[in-house]
Amino acid sequence: MLAADYFLAGAVSLVAGLDRTAAFQFMLSRPIVAAPLTGWVLGAPATGMQVGILIELLWLGRLPIGAAIPPDDTQVAVGATALAIGLGSFLGLAGVPFTLLAVFTALPIGKIGQVFERLVRQRNVRLTQRAELALAEGRLRGIEAEHLWGLSHFALASLATYSVIVGAGSIILYFLAPLLIEPVSEVAGWFRLLFVLIGTAVILATMNVSRAMSLFGASFATAFLMLWLL
Amino acid sequence: MEERVLPRKLLGLILLRTFFLQASWNFEKLQNLGFFYVLAPALRFFYTGDDLSAACRRHLEYFNTHPYMASPVVGSVLALEEKNCRGEKSYLGIQEFKRMVMAPYAAMGDAFFWGGVRPAAAGVSLFFAIRGSYWAPVIFLVLYNVPHLYFRTVGLFQGYARGLKVVELLQRRRLPDMAIRIKEGTVVLLGGLCAYLTFFTLREESVPAGWGFAAAPAALLVGRLVHRGISPLLQVFIAATLLLTLNRIF
Repeated sequence: MLAADYFLAGAVSLVAGLDRTAAFQFMLSRPIVAAPLTGWVLGAPATGMQVGILIELLWLGRLPIGAAIPPDDTQVAVGATALAIGLGSFLGLAGVPFTLLAVFTALPIGKIGQVFERLVRQRNVRLTQRAELALAEGRLRGIEAEHLWGLSHFALASLATYSVIVGAGSIILYFLAPLLIEPVSEVAGWFRLLFVLIGTAVILATMNVSRAMSLFGASFATAFLMLWLL
Repeated sequence: MEERVLPRKLLGLILLRTFFLQASWNFEKLQNLGFFYVLAPALRFFYTGDDLSAACRRHLEYFNTHPYMASPVVGSVLALEEKNCRGEKSYLGIQEFKRMVMAPYAAMGDAFFWGGVRPAAAGVSLFFAIRGSYWAPVIFLVLYNVPHLYFRTVGLFQGYARGLKVVELLQRRRLPDMAIRIKEGTVVLLGGLCAYLTFFTLREESVPAGWGFAAAPAALLVGRLVHRGISPLLQVFIAATLLLTLNRIF
């Protein structure tokens, strides 16, 4: 079952990975969509939703501007959901604390995604060179074919990132989860708040809005007082 | 000279191809192959022989803009190529126009879509997600993709219809101003979201609600640390370790 879960999540990783840069960009690749979608495919959408909330909040403020490559939050979301559901059931530890552990494990491993994406963008330079050769030879359809080859490069990078997250994550969680599950379950609620506060802080720091601090402070205080009084 | 106007079917095909603009994104010439790929059916319609080769060559040069804002550029370039194949001269060359608009269009698109619409749509959908609604991803996709698809579609058709004058249309839309308003709205939304989560976390953990007022300064402090280049991921791990340690001690 574990292999089947990982395989199904791999299909989501491929589609969402292509949507991230190479095709469509409907934002199926955002963690708030990709993680619940993976959860739904694996039969546990609620777990996917929990993963999606945490990762979306943390990396919402990281923007793919120009040639910058932001962290691969798509594969982290899909990989963490696959680990939380697949490995969680396999180890008999499925639940909110294991989901949090899966997210904590996937986050640093996901940094490898930036390496793979950089390699793809370097590799794609050859497609441009081959396209120029095709033009010189008068093969105009060949130029279009070279462009579409890029899709396979991005697809491979997505799958490679997903495989590393799920492979390394499974090994780490297999050994560490039984030791950490109890302490994490005692502070699970605080962990969620931690992600929200750090995620919001990142957005405030990167958004470049002159009145961000005062708007945030006023909105927070008003909403908090209302909840307290009611 | 023969009148050559692009059939709607061909424009539809070009619109479809804009969704693959970044399939071969590369570090040397960025979206150059993608831009050529989008235009290719029109170039074959307008030109033959050496003229076609020359047209292909001019669209294989460096190109980079925001993927959604490429649509109005493509539309205007189609209008310019159409004029060119009829032998009419424009006050601005095709390559000149591309070089002139790609950077400002990229800045507008980045600020409006990446910096404005995306965080705002995510902020709204996160409220639904935290309440446990499975509609959250659908709400995000709808809120985000309405302006996205509008710009892709209308941008292409208006660009083709107006040619160089599409720049004036985009100026009238005042996207940078709209982006700032959307960002301000997102900050207000996130303030509410933080307050909501802080309040209910404190209640679940049986901690007096007054402690919640420390959350906003904490977020602002973390924001300053991020501004100074300290990785948010590192901050998450340090804070998580602190939480686990404090829980063990007390």
